Amino acid sequence: MKVILFYIKKLFTISKNEVLVLPSRVVVVLFFLFLLLLPVFTKDDYILRIFTLTGIFALLAASWDLLSGFTGQLNFGHALFFGVGAYGAALINLHAKIPPWGSIPLGALAAVLAGLIVGIPSLRLKGTYLALTTLSFPIILIGLIFAFPGFTGGELGISGISKLTQSRVADYYVVSVLLLGLCTIMWKITDSNIGIIFHAIREDEVAVRASGINTTRYKLLAFCLSGFFAGISGGLYAHFMRIAGPSTLEVSLSFQVVIWAIFGGIVTIYGPIGAVFLLFPLLELLRFWQDYRTLMFACVVLFILLYMPDGLFRWLRDKIEKECPRCKIRNVSTRDTCRVCTASLD
Amino acid sequence: MTQSFLEIKGLNKNFGGLRAVNDIGFTMGRDQIIGLIGPNGAGKTTLLRLITGILKPDAGSVRFKGKEIVGRKTWNIVNMGIACTFQNMRPFRRLPIIANVMVSCMCPRALKRGEWVKRLEAKAMDALEFAGISDMAREQASTLSQGDLKRLEVARAVATEPELLLLDEPFGGLSPAETDLMAKSIKRLHKGGRFGRLHSEGPAMIIVEHKLHWLMKIVDRIIVLNFGTVIADGTPEEIINNPQVIEAYLGQGGK
Repeated sequence: MKVILFYIKKLFTISKNEVLVLPSRVVVVLFFLFLLLLPVFTKDDYILRIFTLTGIFALLAASWDLLSGFTGQLNFGHALFFGVGAYGAALINLHAKIPPWGSIPLGALAAVLAGLIVGIPSLRLKGTYLALTTLSFPIILIGLIFAFPGFTGGELGISGISKLTQSRVADYYVVSVLLLGLCTIMWKITDSNIGIIFHAIREDEVAVRASGINTTRYKLLAFCLSGFFAGISGGLYAHFMRIAGPSTLEVSLSFQVVIWAIFGGIVTIYGPIGAVFLLFPLLELLRFWQDYRTLMFACVVLFILLYMPDGLFRWLRDKIEKECPRCKIRNVSTRDTCRVCTASLD
Repeated sequence: MTQSFLEIKGLNKNFGGLRAVNDIGFTMGRDQIIGLIGPNGAGKTTLLRLITGILKPDAGSVRFKGKEIVGRKTWNIVNMGIACTFQNMRPFRRLPIIANVMVSCMCPRALKRGEWVKRLEAKAMDALEFAGISDMAREQASTLSQGDLKRLEVARAVATEPELLLLDEPFGGLSPAETDLMAKSIKRLHKGGRFGRLHSEGPAMIIVEHKLHWLMKIVDRIIVLNFGTVIADGTPEEIINNPQVIEAYLGQGGK
């Protein structure tokens, strides 16, 4: 009993001293609660379906940020990992009769392999050249899929895959819990020592090599990690939609991911996730004006990128919080002195 | 026969039609500090980059402790114990200064030698302390002045615990007082020992520098390059009286 009381007290202290002091942390907690409690308020199939797809694409956008934002390996063919994950999970499910909880991780492993296949030839490339090379890989895979319609289903894709779960609410929970868990893992990776090396590779690769770090290994690691998370989202998509078609490999999807990530702010992990949770439902909302849907979507994105080039969520975060000039700890912008070192916040 | 610590033989490097390094060869001992001087464009920086494998030589061999290092990857060479700094400083500008040094602390060589160091930050902090910029550890590297960036470069190189340290203009951009301090720390580093959690092997050094006044105080041997070739090699006293060196620096005919 005492132990439980101790932990409740500890939880209370942590939430008071660490979470409630920063609005960004409060927002993250609210976001977690919103995702986990949404089905309590609405059981509407349509809304749940939209948020399930949003969660899947949020995971995809966050994995792009891990590779291209943090490590600086500009990847314009991120749909490759998504498509390989989707096709991998679908084929494994269909031919080996493995249920979704097995086929999705196996599909993700196939995407890791795809990450290696893309990563190794593009190790020497940088910037635009890397972007163009990576852009070509999903197109190559589409060609292969059309070339072997007997195995891959050609233009129609693979259908008849088993359902993710039996009900819409359960689907939603599987996706949102995976999203929260995997994104926390991603954020932890980027916050660790490996994350520092990723940052450093983006800044100056030669200097990292001169510091004795095997950059090849870390770049491939970034490709594999990103491929794994994108592959999981692809597998979820295949099992949720019950079809894995060539649309999962389209160039437009690759660019969609880039737009989401840049809209929310790259090198943040939370930015792309937030951006998908804004833009994807927005695109659905704009269905009310069917004719101008894409135009208005483009206007919103352009407007944000014009006035907030660092991304929407970074801009917001800098508005509501400021960094202490002395100890570099973030504070609410309404405070006059730092909450830790009491230095004045200019 | 004792093998020499660093042995360079017939090193060549062309940039298009320009022969930047032309048949350079010398050996150095484990406890030497060599000053590498020469007019601009003499190939000093190129020579250092050839040794660290950032550039690949067209011909020649570099042997470090008896092992051929030409053709190895830069990170392998660094992990064998050769660290270098860059003349045009290349910090990770958007990272805090301490993270810049932590990258070096994470190389396999530094990890192996500091197994007893539980926290990388602490070791990185000691490297910054050694270079004299620990008070700015949390600032972004882009806010540093030129002189402090030089110190950061030195801290980064020292954090890999090298046996051979290649310093490319360590005094560039430093004021006379700061240069004195830096010269002292280089001497201290060469003597070896512990700086907190940072261990110094007492590395041999090759220092490229234009501030000859301070360089002469540190080094015990000077190699002069001009147009990619060695034109003089000897103790500082021999060098300042060498007519070829005076000619390379000041030109001919001045009486």
